[in-house]
Amino acid sequence: MSQLQEERKIILGNENVDSFDFDEVQDFVKDANEQLFISHHFATKNKMLVQPRGGFPTYEKQFALYDFFVKANVDVLPLTIDSNTRLNDYATAKKMLRLSEANEMDMLNGYPLVNHGYRTTRKMMTHFNLPVSLRHGTPDARLLTEIAIASGIFEIEGGPITYLLPYSKNFPLDKAFLYWKYVERVCADYSTLNKPINRESFGPLTATLVPPAITIVIQLLEMLLSLEEGVKSFSVSFSQQGSMIQDIVTGKVTRALADHYAKQIGCEDAHIHLVYHQWMGAFPTNRDSADQLINMSTVIASMVGADKIITKTREEAVGIPTKEANAQTVANTQYTLNILGGLPAITDEQEEEILTAEVHAIMEAVFNDPADSLWRKVFNSIKNGIIDVPFSPHIINHNNMITIRDSNKNIRIIDRGNVPIPDHCFEYEKSCCDLNKDTTSIVNDIIHDIGIMQ
Amino acid sequence: MKVVTGVIGNDIHVVANRLMDLSLNARGYEVFNLGVNTYLEEFFDAAVETGAEILLISSLNGEAEGWGREVKLLKAKYKSLDNLTMMIGGNLTVGSGNAEDIVPRFKNYGFDLVCHQVDLNTGLDMLEEYMRENKHS
Ligand code: B12
Repeated sequence: MSQLQEERKIILGNENVDSFDFDEVQDFVKDANEQLFISHHFATKNKMLVQPRGGFPTYEKQFALYDFFVKANVDVLPLTIDSNTRLNDYATAKKMLRLSEANEMDMLNGYPLVNHGYRTTRKMMTHFNLPVSLRHGTPDARLLTEIAIASGIFEIEGGPITYLLPYSKNFPLDKAFLYWKYVERVCADYSTLNKPINRESFGPLTATLVPPAITIVIQLLEMLLSLEEGVKSFSVSFSQQGSMIQDIVTGKVTRALADHYAKQIGCEDAHIHLVYHQWMGAFPTNRDSADQLINMSTVIASMVGADKIITKTREEAVGIPTKEANAQTVANTQYTLNILGGLPAITDEQEEEILTAEVHAIMEAVFNDPADSLWRKVFNSIKNGIIDVPFSPHIINHNNMITIRDSNKNIRIIDRGNVPIPDHCFEYEKSCCDLNKDTTSIVNDIIHDIGIMQ
Repeated sequence: MKVVTGVIGNDIHVVANRLMDLSLNARGYEVFNLGVNTYLEEFFDAAVETGAEILLISSLNGEAEGWGREVKLLKAKYKSLDNLTMMIGGNLTVGSGNAEDIVPRFKNYGFDLVCHQVDLNTGLDMLEEYMRENKHS
């Protein structure tokens, strides 16, 4: 038995799993309907795929939510996992699921997939026969991924960096890399049986003043770590940043460099997609303003030329949205996409050049780390601050990079920390901002910039 | 005045916590910030260790209801915490809750001050007023 297979047996021997039948699951994936694979939809549909977010504690509520999404003409269904399951606290998830089933009140902010199990969940997925995306934020997603694929969920979001730095305080980073290697291999193995399983990186990170250079570097590194293990279908992503031109430039540079670096490791046969998230930061509490923001996000996603858009709702600032509000965004987004036409092609060569130079410089510093494998190089680079994510709650993250918005709302780097932003790029970034202020006013500006859409 | 703060449960929303740290410091408190993903025991342990007068808990992701129910039971196990002022704020339910239901419920769980979707500085003003009144009585 291979080492991976042995590890899988241990993972699936978890007390919360009700006897995992490896052979049956393998046959299920082999014979699964092609409609369940988002990779098939990317290949055959000539439109931007629309995917909401959403997870309720109980099977019945999740089923009802999907019913609403289908009526709103959804392209891809989400399965958003609750925060206890995300941090592998299955016992609390179980207790809160029981309480949610017994009462009117939802006690979980997502669907506790491990507790529901794959036999139950698969019924729902095959009933709707649409591609489903697993949204989770889990540093150790080995068990969750196994249960998801066995349920008919053939897109797995996340990665060792994007599901650790925004989502954890002290989960060991080296372990996250090894646990995600397991996920990549399982996805790669299943991909040989039918259409490929799609892996997607989580570009929004903390959704709080993250500069595009950091986002892109992390997208590229997670893509490489995944392709290295044999994954054949991968999505890079980012979220609305606040300035339309910065989004357009980010999309362009992301696509170009994803192709460049995939080719460099001989993986040009893999399919790479671009995903755009509607505004992920602090939302306006006013529901009508929220609708306007969401609509603007859709327009920008079209300018960016994304392959998929992930939506928010008018209730974002308030709490987990109702199924009605959630489906409404799907319908609105489809409507906007349908009526948009004659989009101008916009470029900004200077911004593209600066951003490309920043990304190359950081990538080079990562590759130059003396460690013998890519994951170790990336690990060291995070540890020594070559990669630094603003507002990460994780103790390993340096938190020394400081960013602020310029008068056009572009996110600019005003303190590099230990990130090797080339001097001429750094001078350019700073020259866009008004920095002749005392520290208190700059802190107030940052607070203002976090709440820019409120 | 010493205050222990952090975000409860398996919740990793850190932005308000960082701003909380700044605001509390600016208002002259001595701040012990436990950060995100902090369990109830850790809060109480820190309150004992630091001798804090105030425990200020944040919850954003909807877990507060689950943890709130454990507060009285757990706090009773600590002998020295009877005078601790307990405050909770953020987004206290899953879905859209109603402050009129939430505030009395959380007071029942053992909190002196409850702020559901109240702005940080408004909440900290309430705290200051509460502490002033309680000192005199
Ligand atoms: C940014 C964000 C994220 C980022 C967080 C990055 C990070 N590490 O911090 C990412 C994308 C990673 C994320 C992930 C998740 N998120 Co989130 N997130 C948000 C978002 C959009 C903004 C939060 C924010 O930073 N606001 C800015 C700060 C400054 O303000 P604030 O946090 O809102 O707090 C204010 C007040 O509440 C107050 N306050 C806070 N604490 C206290 C304490 C006291 C005593 C007082 C007086 C005041 C106070 O101060 C602040 C300023 O006034 C909100 C929605 C929104 N508000 O727009 C959702 C939101 C908080 N997230 C939510 C959820 C559920 C999650 C997830 C669990 C995923 C999911 N199931 O949807 C995961 C988290 C996993 C986990 N383990 O917890 C829900 C919570 C739902 C609920 N309560 O019903 C929200 C409301 C979105 C939604 N509508 O579903 N999220």
